[in-house]
Amino acid sequence: MRIFRFIAFRLGIALVTLFGVSIIVFMAVHFVPGSYEDVILGPFGTPETRAIVRAKYGLDRPAVEQYLHWLAATARGDFGTSLTTGQPVAAEIIRRAPATIQLAVMATLLAIAVGVPMGIASGVTSTSQFGRTAGRLVGALGASVPVFVLGTIFVFMFSIWSLGLTVGGYVPLFEDPLTNMRAMTLPVVTLSVFGMALIQRTTRDSVLSVTSETHVTAAVARGERPPDIIRSHVLRNASIPIVTVTTVYFAYLLGGAIIVEQMFSVPGVAVYVVQSVRNRDYLAVQAGVLLAATVFVTINILADIVYALIDPRIGGKRSQS
Amino acid sequence: MTSLLDVRDLVVVYDTPRGRVVALDGVSLDLEAGETLGIVGESGSGKSTLGLAIGQLLPWNSRRLSGDLSVLDLSVFGGDDERLRRLRRDVLGFVFQNPMTALDPTMRIGRQLARAIGPRATRDSVRALLSRVGLAGAGRIEQSFPHELSGGMAQRAAIGMAIARNPRLIVADEPTASLDAWLRDQILELLISMCSATGASLVLLSHDLHVVSRYCRHVAVMYGGRIVEYAQRETLFRRQAHPYTRALLESAPGAEGPDGRLRPIQGLPPVITESSRGCAFAPRCGWMKDLCNDVRPEMQLTRDRSVLCHRAEEVLACRSGA
Repeated sequence: MRIFRFIAFRLGIALVTLFGVSIIVFMAVHFVPGSYEDVILGPFGTPETRAIVRAKYGLDRPAVEQYLHWLAATARGDFGTSLTTGQPVAAEIIRRAPATIQLAVMATLLAIAVGVPMGIASGVTSTSQFGRTAGRLVGALGASVPVFVLGTIFVFMFSIWSLGLTVGGYVPLFEDPLTNMRAMTLPVVTLSVFGMALIQRTTRDSVLSVTSETHVTAAVARGERPPDIIRSHVLRNASIPIVTVTTVYFAYLLGGAIIVEQMFSVPGVAVYVVQSVRNRDYLAVQAGVLLAATVFVTINILADIVYALIDPRIGGKRSQS
Repeated sequence: MTSLLDVRDLVVVYDTPRGRVVALDGVSLDLEAGETLGIVGESGSGKSTLGLAIGQLLPWNSRRLSGDLSVLDLSVFGGDDERLRRLRRDVLGFVFQNPMTALDPTMRIGRQLARAIGPRATRDSVRALLSRVGLAGAGRIEQSFPHELSGGMAQRAAIGMAIARNPRLIVADEPTASLDAWLRDQILELLISMCSATGASLVLLSHDLHVVSRYCRHVAVMYGGRIVEYAQRETLFRRQAHPYTRALLESAPGAEGPDGRLRPIQGLPPVITESSRGCAFAPRCGWMKDLCNDVRPEMQLTRDRSVLCHRAEEVLACRSGA
């Protein structure tokens, strides 16, 4: 079966990618000026105390040895212990993952729910000058407002009129759904505006190009109803670019919506990784980045499988002609 | 009497980034039920625009400046979308050039045919339709996606979709241009037999005068957005009243001169940006006089044909080319 070979091939590439990422993140973290002992000893550490700290955590070993040691442990699923808190890194990431995942999932769903219908609408009205201009304007506006500007506006507005929403005050979703939603609504909306614009634009362009294909003209020529044509002939054919940007957007959110997490005090993974960078908490940073890369690669593989499901010409049987 | 297709002085232009292009520069045409009409022209002659206009399938950057086109007395430019949709569904059938792009690439053939048949489609009616277009015994075809079929099979399926509701008028624009030559006759014969079986009329658009005249009783030659000559095929082949028709015949295989060579038409077909003042063919025409550049020729009805040329009688009288 070609589809399984295809997946196996993609998994192979994914492993190579992750191996590369592990090298890059290891080097990046260790070559950042200032190191762990500077952080815990401060500017007054003597060369002797610094050497002691380095020896204690194995930071005096050759870089290659440290790397291989870390890689072997990671491959066994052991992310090590945080140098700052002494807690296992994995436990901390697992504790924080639900907030990040919830943020990413909800923002993506909201972006799809708004972006796709808006994109279809502006795609099918693009035959008029007004529709064309309106569609472009919405897309450009949504995509060009930076998240921190939007977030600041929201924080400001909802600190005056709360409307039952809160800035901060996160509790896990399954502990108290209502309080959770009150805290998560603003960050989700803030995050999703860019996604809405992205998906709206992509949907619009894709719908526009599919509706100019002959098979849509043929459907019109057969007297099919316009809503039927859009549902049956346009959407599926237009959906591959939409799936592409949606998955990239989703993976990007999972990898770290740092500004929004910070701004709305959402205790997510991104905040943790950035704090760890500041503390030169090598293992935590390495684990966080490698995890984000894994998520990204996995989601892309899933997207490839979805492509093959959408379009029978991808990955399936060969043409007979 | 109601004619099936009635085109009156139709002028259609395209607005392109580089300015306006006139695709139809005043086309008039009548088609009775049961007739087969071939429309011949080079690319850019306006024949595809005319074909699309029959179902008002013109792209959004086109505009009708004047004139009208009616099918069974309903103007397709009348603005009644629902009536136009029913007209397309029940009266018209379109066959496009490339079946691979005219079929939805993500839908199985069986389902596409069922949709073309309409809400009452059943497995049996889909099978029956497949066998009408020569794809019988074909459970595999029903389950196939378009890219899994050969070009000829796909065009048969596309024809099946066009005739699914027994249209009164079938418009086929270069239906064999994307197919291997040996399939050409099969597909055209299928189209003709479908038409004669149901009494439908056929408008066949092609660049090939010989092909058109083999299958269609009437032939219209288009040039520069106008019909320049219209006659029964025998009449047209016996003698040509328009220099362009004559040039087309002389440039087609089978018309080699004594030296064994064809005489291609000099120059390129025009891109017209406004209604031509004189005759659009004048710059390439061996019969050109001052008159041809200055005075727009009007359709002359002669005994056996209509022709759009100031010197039609001289051309007719002259046996060999100019």
